[in-house]
Amino acid sequence: MPPVQGDAGLAFRDLHKSFGAARALRAVSFHVAEGETHAIVGENGAGKSTLLKILAGLVKADEGRIIWNGEPLHAGSPREALERGIGMVYQEMLAFPNLSVAANIFAGREITGPAGWLRGAEMRSRTRALLDELHLAIDPAALAESLPAAHRQLLQVARALAFDCRILVLDEPTTALTDAETDHLFAVIRKLKQRGVTILYVSHRLPEVFRLCDRITVLRDGQFVETLDRATATHDRVVRAMVGRDLPHRADDAGAPAYAKTALEVRGLSRRPCFRDVSFSVRAGEIVALFGLVGSGRSELIETIFGLFAAQAGSILIEGKAVHLRSACDAARAGLALVPEERQRQGLFFNLALRHNLLIPLRQMSKTRLIRPAADWAEATHLIDAWRIKASGPDALPDSLSGGNQQKVVLAKWLATRPAVLMLDEPTKGVDVGAKFEIHHIIRREAAAGTACLVVSSDLPEVLSLAHRVIVMREGRVQGELQGAEATEEAVMHLATTDLKAAS
Amino acid sequence: MTRTRRAWHVRELSTIVILLVEIAFFGWYLWPEAGRAHPFLNGENAVLILKYSSIYGIAAIGAAIVIISGGIDLAPGAIIALAGVVCGGLFVEAGWGLGPSILAALAVGTLSGLLSALLIVAVKLPPFIATLGVMGITRGLAFIITEGRYYDVSGRLVGGWRPFGLPQDWVPPVIMIALALFFHLLMTRFNWGRGIFSVGGNETAALFSGIAVGRLKTSVYVLSGVLAAAAGVVLTFVQGQGKADLATGYELDIIASAVVGGASLSGGRGSVLGAVLGTLIFGVLRNALPQIPGATFYDRLIVGAVVIVIVVMDQLLLKRGE
Repeated sequence: MPPVQGDAGLAFRDLHKSFGAARALRAVSFHVAEGETHAIVGENGAGKSTLLKILAGLVKADEGRIIWNGEPLHAGSPREALERGIGMVYQEMLAFPNLSVAANIFAGREITGPAGWLRGAEMRSRTRALLDELHLAIDPAALAESLPAAHRQLLQVARALAFDCRILVLDEPTTALTDAETDHLFAVIRKLKQRGVTILYVSHRLPEVFRLCDRITVLRDGQFVETLDRATATHDRVVRAMVGRDLPHRADDAGAPAYAKTALEVRGLSRRPCFRDVSFSVRAGEIVALFGLVGSGRSELIETIFGLFAAQAGSILIEGKAVHLRSACDAARAGLALVPEERQRQGLFFNLALRHNLLIPLRQMSKTRLIRPAADWAEATHLIDAWRIKASGPDALPDSLSGGNQQKVVLAKWLATRPAVLMLDEPTKGVDVGAKFEIHHIIRREAAAGTACLVVSSDLPEVLSLAHRVIVMREGRVQGELQGAEATEEAVMHLATTDLKAAS
Repeated sequence: MTRTRRAWHVRELSTIVILLVEIAFFGWYLWPEAGRAHPFLNGENAVLILKYSSIYGIAAIGAAIVIISGGIDLAPGAIIALAGVVCGGLFVEAGWGLGPSILAALAVGTLSGLLSALLIVAVKLPPFIATLGVMGITRGLAFIITEGRYYDVSGRLVGGWRPFGLPQDWVPPVIMIALALFFHLLMTRFNWGRGIFSVGGNETAALFSGIAVGRLKTSVYVLSGVLAAAAGVVLTFVQGQGKADLATGYELDIIASAVVGGASLSGGRGSVLGAVLGTLIFGVLRNALPQIPGATFYDRLIVGAVVIVIVVMDQLLLKRGE
């Protein structure tokens, strides 16, 4: 437990919350000092979002209190929470795409004259001042949907600031941001801290947490585990507290033997303006990472290989044979599988039970047209067990699963087709450490069984620990390849960020 | 600075351009032989077009606002009929005064809108289903009240009656234009309208921003009901009778006008002025086509094609704008 402190700061006292039979929070108590940057970490389902929802007034606690500077908070609605100075920046970017930047910033608390007349000019000029303060070159009259993702995220921070928030809550704010954009966000957060704003930072990304936060509170299964000082906490210690066990360390494998046959080869593939003249190959049993900054053309490349888009030039060979893939269905029949980046939008059918979700690619590829419920049921049950998917059963809907388990469903449905080449686009984006480890384990196991794996990832530590070989892309071109020990953080980032043509 | 699109609306402008092109086309096509009066391009005909369009136009203001809020209202056609029947019945049969009869009709519209709102906001039915039900109920009530009769309003009106000192034909257009300007201002310059755009753009975000989503949605459907009732009163006096099977299928023409005027059925986008201009586009078609021999039979087909062409053009323009 944290040391007993005075009235200053934000105290969570004995919070309980159940949703039906599920107990989301059990006797959670901890203290956040005023003006500190405090991280809340935990696996999916640890109770972080419930805690934030109670703080934001969206959900009412069954028991317990939240005390802010000596006074109990009874936020019954998001509006009240805002009036008490609690600003929220949500994970899913909650903005009004159809409104201007200024209208977004003042949504719900517009500056108005008599009868609700909007003082547009005043709101725009105040927005201008606010954005200048954050060093954001955004036009207050621009439509929110025309802004890049990072700016939309920062817009929410600006929105919280417009109302002089004393507590700013950020829920996974960097999921959609590049490193440079993250740096920008962090600079803004540090500035706020200097102004005395108390910051609650929720993130899966431990390196960020260590970079930014003074103290770290760990939740597990709806319970408070401990609050650690950054100075004394280590990465391993936090992970251990989150998962409640030691994660096994990575067994070093040597990678695919050089004589293994080439499973996928790409020759001079172009689809302007996304990428051009891309050539590389992946051998059976090899894990190759495709690294590059956002916008370097990686996702477009593997989507083209998967037959979703037509290439303008070049050829694709699978196990030595040239193939012409006109659709994803062709690609799947040819032995390719793609686990897409946005599993919510591209990977899952939220209206269908797991047993349908898990068998969709397999059944679509097979010759049988009749659905046999008993066989589906058995096969889905087998997949759920084999992949250790935490779900109530084959009848569960994807909605009831955590992010990591949803991702496992998408992996499982493609691996059920026994692909020769497995392509994964950001496979661990937004999943917790435990699930991340399991997904890595699955990829390694598939590779060991002879599947060629091509992984697109922006997570550099992941790339370095997982891949036998790293291909670096920049602005649609292959910048270079790094094998095994050559692939260090510096070497990869150097390739990804420098313009080789300009340097030579 | 990154390239961004400004939140500036040119949608009404493109609708005006289409309307002008349409008028120019019919003006050219129906050009009379030398010495004869133009059958289409004349002041009297313009007032006629405006008069008949205002029935749709007044209701389309409400429809546009509902669509901007992310909903849909299928009840206006039926509410128009019910309001006409109530107004006509009270005025002709019960011998009420003109003012009280009109007020009663508007009250019926309010109640119908309130019923839709209740089903959508409190019972949480999808707007399509809720308003489909209300459409049936209101149309049914109109039939129950009239039992196949109709109320002859024109017989009881004093000849040469000039409301507000205007010629009778001018009254509906003036009401439509005044309401359109009023609600356009309310939607673009007032907090209420901004709230409706917010709800239509992202309802969850609106809730999280402390916007009173339920109250706003209620106001939108009630307004749509009142405006439909006002359109019903206008129709009753324009046609000279209150009848239960009037305005059948109008709800779709009204929705089409709002969409042609720039409203997006996924919500968050649209314009009240655009919707009214949209009704004029259809009003001109309905007026000019019968003057072309044989073209009457093509009326519905042309209206359908026009909806598709205009919306597709709009999407292409929007894409190029990005």
